[in-house]
Amino acid sequence: MTELILQALYSGILAGSSYALIALGLALVFGTMRIINLAHGEMVLVAAYMAYTLENAYQWNPLLAIPLAVIVACMLSVVVNFLVSRIRHDRELNSLILTFGFGIMLTNISLMLWKADIRSTRSAWLQDAISFGSLYSMKSELLFFAVSLVLVGLVAWWLRASWYGRAVRAVSSHREAARLMGINPQRTELVSFLVAGLLAGFAGVALYCNSVIQPSLGGALTVKAFIITVLAGMGSIVGVLVGALLIGIAEALTTTLASSALQDLTGMVLFLLVLFVMPNGLFGTKRHD
Amino acid sequence: MTRPSRFAWVLLLAGLYVGVPQVFGGDLYLMSNIVAALTIGGIALSWSLLGNLGGMVSFGHAAFVGVGAYVSALAVMKLGAPVFAGMILGGIGAALASILIAPALRLRGPYFALSILAYAHIFKIIATEWKSLTNGSGGLSSIPRFPEWAGFDFGSKTGSYFIVLTLVLLFAGIYHLVRRSDYGLALRAMHDSEAATRVVGVNSLLLKALMLLLSAFMAGVMGAFNAHYINFLEPDYAFSTLWTTLPIVAAIFGGYRTIAGPLVGAMGVYLVDQLVFKSLIPSGHQVILGALLIGMILWSPGGLLPPLIRLFNRRAHAQA
Repeated sequence: MTELILQALYSGILAGSSYALIALGLALVFGTMRIINLAHGEMVLVAAYMAYTLENAYQWNPLLAIPLAVIVACMLSVVVNFLVSRIRHDRELNSLILTFGFGIMLTNISLMLWKADIRSTRSAWLQDAISFGSLYSMKSELLFFAVSLVLVGLVAWWLRASWYGRAVRAVSSHREAARLMGINPQRTELVSFLVAGLLAGFAGVALYCNSVIQPSLGGALTVKAFIITVLAGMGSIVGVLVGALLIGIAEALTTTLASSALQDLTGMVLFLLVLFVMPNGLFGTKRHD
Repeated sequence: MTRPSRFAWVLLLAGLYVGVPQVFGGDLYLMSNIVAALTIGGIALSWSLLGNLGGMVSFGHAAFVGVGAYVSALAVMKLGAPVFAGMILGGIGAALASILIAPALRLRGPYFALSILAYAHIFKIIATEWKSLTNGSGGLSSIPRFPEWAGFDFGSKTGSYFIVLTLVLLFAGIYHLVRRSDYGLALRAMHDSEAATRVVGVNSLLLKALMLLLSAFMAGVMGAFNAHYINFLEPDYAFSTLWTTLPIVAAIFGGYRTIAGPLVGAMGVYLVDQLVFKSLIPSGHQVILGALLIGMILWSPGGLLPPLIRLFNRRAHAQA
């Protein structure tokens, strides 16, 4: 039993690391633009389908699809940014409906292009098992765990040290003040969208290599990412990482101890609990409205 | 805008109750599409009641529709309740389900919208996993249909049309009364400034909770109607995101700040989607609905009905 639980913890941490990439993109955009991109999960999914297309049509290793996946996700990000910035009234609520509509479009385009079938990688190398003592995983899971940690670290460094990173943080904390200091909020928003697209590209390929994809999955990914940002609270990268790992572990434990069908329920219940008990998240600072 | 006269109302009602079945009653395919469009219209109405009066965007109405459908079907099948009583129970069930999410009303804007999105997933999982009650993903089949009353078969296409039409008109009436009441005034004031409204002694949280309750009840009854109308339920269908998507598109398209907007929007969007788009693009035809939603938000977030009415009035004034 202990062994099973240890294995669940290990798998959960590996799975959670790529959730962190999805959640971080959502949180960055929410920070600068005060909008939740409801098409974020669908963007990740389209990136995953890039890997599928290249593997299926040209027998490429999915890892080689990362540049294409990143470019496509960034392009979609730019489109969302463009559309949302053109909303004239009540941007907070109307952006939800608009990105919801964009998500519907992406889901249905995926349905047209790639059909409703469940797809996963055929790369034997990526799916090979690798073990530490009694703990097993696929090679791809371990690989993307490392990639995710590096990416999250890079984003954290970028936010702290680079000019644009600091601009993103400045716009997140006070848009008007940032503008008065000579930061262009529109361009900063675009940058945050591009970083979100970059992360979504990697997350999509990770998703394709580690598990299975199908067009209807996008909504659930968005919800998961949102749950993580709520767990994390606003403005905490460590929080996003911990929240993502927590969700990964909770899901893996549910699968091991109860059933895989209840997997999504655990995340939701955790989410509602945190929302009601501590609305500022596990790591967030108090919000000032 | 001049108020429609009593004569116009009688004419409209006569058209809906007598004209439509007389003209289209023979075309069963069209009739079933009209019934489905009215069902979507009823849900769209309940969605815009929450959005317009409560100021909340809900992405979770599928939960209320599904709960209403399952509660009603189970009440009739397992407890032997009459079908119409079951439908009311379905509405009450959905309203009770909405109490679970009520704490999220403290949250603002996007937080509420996404909480209710996450929340909607929970019920689908429960309906799938609680196999002893719901038969899981196998679904419930042969759910009792509408009965025959006084020699008239409510289970027929035309009978179902009368039921759904009556429900939708009833809901529109309730919506109208709420909007005109003191509650409506307080809700409008809340829309301008929630803090100021609270200062003068309005319990804004309670008001929002009441709107959520009412909205969930309406969506639940529509779900229950649908369950007895198609006689079959399974979790993927009962809690399908379509029950959220279509009403939102309909309400935004028609104009969610009016009462007629969501209904007109539902008729337009659903019928065009089913009769035109579906034959053009068999799989993935909702891509057009998504595009429509984006276009509406960018160019006419208030819906199409209000500008059309303005245009119509201007013409009328010009002629006068």
